[in-house]
Formats: sequence, C-alpha cells, structure tokens
Amino acid sequence: MPSVATQITFIVVGYAALVAILALVVALRRGERPGWLDQLAWMLEALLVVRALAGLGALGGDGPPSMSTYVGYLLASVCVLPIAMQSIKDDRAVWSSGVIAVAAVAVGVIAVRLEMTAS
Amino acid sequence: MTVPSHLPAPRSGPHKVLLALYALFALAAGARALVQLTTQYDEAPVAYWLSLAAAVTYALGWVAIRQASVGHTGFASVMLWVELAGVLTVGTLSLVGQDWFPDASVWSDYGIGYGFVPAALPIAGLLWLRRQKRLPAGSQSRDD
Repeated sequence: MPSVATQITFIVVGYAALVAILALVVALRRGERPGWLDQLAWMLEALLVVRALAGLGALGGDGPPSMSTYVGYLLASVCVLPIAMQSIKDDRAVWSSGVIAVAAVAVGVIAVRLEMTAS
Repeated sequence: MTVPSHLPAPRSGPHKVLLALYALFALAAGARALVQLTTQYDEAPVAYWLSLAAAVTYALGWVAIRQASVGHTGFASVMLWVELAGVLTVGTLSLVGQDWFPDASVWSDYGIGYGFVPAALPIAGLLWLRRQKRLPAGSQSRDD
C-alpha cells in the first residue's frame, strides 16, 4: 500500500492533468478565461498544499537523500501556481488560459519529482 | 535587471505564455545549477556551470520578451538567438563529446531531460518576435 503522501501525489498529478487539458481546450476555443477555470486552479493549489504538508513528514528521521533538492521541490510545488495566477490577475483574455495550462503541467511534474526525491 | 518603469504594462497575448515558461525555466535551471554546484561540484563542473548559464539566459530572455511585448524588440532579437545558439551548441557537444559531460546540463541532448522544451522555446520566441515586429506601433501583443 503506497504511503498517504504518495496517494495524494497520484491525485495531484491526475487533477493537474485535468486542469491543464481543460485550460488548453479553453485557450484553443479562443474564448475568455471562465471563472470556473480559476476555481479549478485554486482547488489544485489546495491539493498541493495538502501534499506539501504530508511531505513535511519526510523531513524527519534520516530525511531525503538530497535535502536541498527536496525542500526546493516542496517550496516550488506551492509557489508556482499562485505566482502564475497573479501574473494573469487582470487579464481574462484567451492566452491567460494558456498560462494556467503551463502552470498546471509544471506543478504536476514538480509533484512527481517531489515524490522521486523523497526517499 | 528590471524592466524600465516608463514602459506601459504589456497587454495580453502569446507573450504571457512565453513569460510563464521563461520564468519557470529560469527557476528550474537556476535551482538545479545552484544545488549541483554547491553539493557535487567535482562530478561535472562544466555541465553545472552551463546549467547556470542557461538559467541566466532564461532570466534575461524573460526581460527581453517583456520589453518586446511593449514594442522594444532589440534586446529580444539578440537574446533569443543567443539562447538558440546555446541550446544547439551545448546539445551538439553533449552528443559528440560525452566525456565532457559526466552529468547532464539543462541543455544536454537539446534539453531531452525537459521534454525538448529548451530547444522549442527560443524557436517559439523567435516566431512570436517576428510577428510582433510586423504589428503596427501601439498594437503589440494585441492579437486575442
């Protein structure tokens, strides 16, 4: 049975993929960024915070093989999405959905790397 | 380096996605290079310094694209070509001279470790810049 942190990672990666695909579809349809896409992105951020809190457990004991790498991924996992959302705060045009797609893919990859560097 | 304060805020456009990617790669390459330079410097110093150079290039590329989005395309015209030359040079060297790269740099094998995005990024940037230069003054990045 995978650990709780690993199970949350699976959920994060799947949900990030969903957000990225939906953001891409919105961008390709060349419509304005809908409010629900923002809500999906912030729900993804909430999941990432939960994953980061679960990941704090790995800091105890022997800790991860490369502590600096692990902590870097831990911080990046919760910081990337808010920064991306801030950059498109006043912009609801078509390309702002592309930014969410990029950020969602990025946090999905970061979540995988976080899991890989935990042990 | 910061964007001069007299420049107006860039409008929406494809540059927003490019800026997000450049910021992401500046962060990823910079963090990777700093960790490797400080914790395992002796393993592959050339590769790690090249990763740091890639990070600086991405940071300057971010500034260049931001300036180009408001019509000042000069810096981007230089930086994007420098970046493309860097990816192609390091990518080719990593294939023909593998002894020089005991560990991978960001641009090794044309950025295979990052899904070849490092190779695609300057090309996408140059295509955007070409389009940007054709737009009439005052309508930069207003194609949405």
